[in-house]
Amino acid sequence: MSRALEVVVVNGSPNERSKTGGLADLVTATLADLLPIEVHHVGVHRLGASFTGAVQREDVDAAVEAEIGAVETADVLVAATPVYRASYSGMFKHFFDLVDQYALANKPVILVATGGSDRHALVIEHELRPLFAFFQAATIPVGFYANAGDFDGTTVLNNEVYSRIEMGLHDVLPALIRATEERPDADPDLRDQHGAAT
Amino acid sequence: MPFELGAITFGEITSDLTTGVTPSPQQRMAETLEQAVVADEVGLDVFGVGEHHRSDFIASAPHMILSAAAALTRAIRLTSSVTVLGSEDPVRVFQNFSTLDLVSNGRAEMIAGRGSYSESFPLFGYELDDYADLFREKLDALLAIRASNPAQWAGSAHTNDLRRVDIAPRPVRDLPVWVGVGGSPASAVSTGRLGLPMALALLLGPVDQHLRTVAMYRQAASEAGHDSQHTPISINTHGYVGSSSQQARDVMFPYFRIGMRENNHQRGTGFDIPRRAFDAQASEHGGLLVGSSQEIIDKLMTYHELYGVTRAVIQMGFGGVPQKEHLASIERLGTEVAPVVRAEVARREQVAA
Repeated sequence: MSRALEVVVVNGSPNERSKTGGLADLVTATLADLLPIEVHHVGVHRLGASFTGAVQREDVDAAVEAEIGAVETADVLVAATPVYRASYSGMFKHFFDLVDQYALANKPVILVATGGSDRHALVIEHELRPLFAFFQAATIPVGFYANAGDFDGTTVLNNEVYSRIEMGLHDVLPALIRATEERPDADPDLRDQHGAAT
Repeated sequence: MPFELGAITFGEITSDLTTGVTPSPQQRMAETLEQAVVADEVGLDVFGVGEHHRSDFIASAPHMILSAAAALTRAIRLTSSVTVLGSEDPVRVFQNFSTLDLVSNGRAEMIAGRGSYSESFPLFGYELDDYADLFREKLDALLAIRASNPAQWAGSAHTNDLRRVDIAPRPVRDLPVWVGVGGSPASAVSTGRLGLPMALALLLGPVDQHLRTVAMYRQAASEAGHDSQHTPISINTHGYVGSSSQQARDVMFPYFRIGMRENNHQRGTGFDIPRRAFDAQASEHGGLLVGSSQEIIDKLMTYHELYGVTRAVIQMGFGGVPQKEHLASIERLGTEVAPVVRAEVARREQVAA
């Protein structure tokens, strides 16, 4: 029996309806065409004072703790941010500063970014990917970028972006499908065996 | 300026999506001429045939096809869409289209373009590296040939001295020469500087993506002393006029996906355009002219407002849309869309005047 994958989108945009959210939605909608998923959204600019004022993980309230926990336990993470001052937004980085150092290890992470022009496209490779390399996450090979001119509101109107998303997701589809067939939480035998071996 | 609507085709030879049968070139030629006849009957203003030099197209010599169409039609204007001028002899192009003009009693036009396919360059012994220079020089030569006989053209790297030769026949009236522009600012500026009408191609993308192109065209035209507000611009795009919004999308999509494979590369090979991407292009702010008659009317008015276009030429059979559906779309464009758009544009111009 396959299960739906828990996909968590972390959006670094300060805007309620953002292009970054539009592009991330296109990624999750395309993914939903390919396999069963459940999507949860975390908007880092809407987490409130306990988050923005947090110096360490213990400072956040229960609601924010749950959001960070959702990212840590997700099957797939979509890390999406607008380019802000040549990188991901500060609040986006602040969120990941609070994520456990090993919680994202080997987790599939889809990198998504938007910018004012295509001059920022390598932000995915030069800023986002190193951050998730630190976490030893399994970032998927193709990152998804769109510029402001590619959108009408939050709808992407650049055909190439759609094709690139299809291609990039198909690269990792076999591994994601395998993940829907595993039930890590419902596999006590496997865990016991590992426990016994150590 | 009255708003003009037209249909164009590349004369593709594409296997039928359901039967897998590839039509013969004869069959496609007959179908292409039938499209011209229907377009004329339903009152469209322009019929265009694009030039491609490959076995999956029948139209390497558009002027020949247009000449046959001229004999079968009454009022519709007949244009190449486009003539790949860089790999042509401008003298021969002028002769061909002058002849077409005589055959059609003054209905010939051409869109001179750089060409989005490059097969004709090696075919006729031209270097693709000279692409830009070839087009520029031959367009200048063609305009000189059109202006007077003998032409005031001294020749240059790719053309001969024409000042002491006789170029005939002469057309019924001044042959309209449009320039096909895909959106590169340089071609818009050079077209504006020459004061030539611009045929703006919009394949995919936001409906307003060419605002800058059009602004640069008008500025260049006005700086060169042309009446930039009255230099015509046409929008050339893909579309399909259906019986309903959904029917139009469902009919067009499978064929458009096939046609687009070659233009939609990922990792060096053709890639199917996703339906979601197509639907976004079909939406209010996407460039494709696909939908119900009312949707096409609305988007044509958007194009008119955004760019001041006074002509829209739509390719409705791309990717091998079956003849029956293709003709139905041409008919709806002529009978349901065109009268409304012409009247509405005329009304707005009257209000503005």
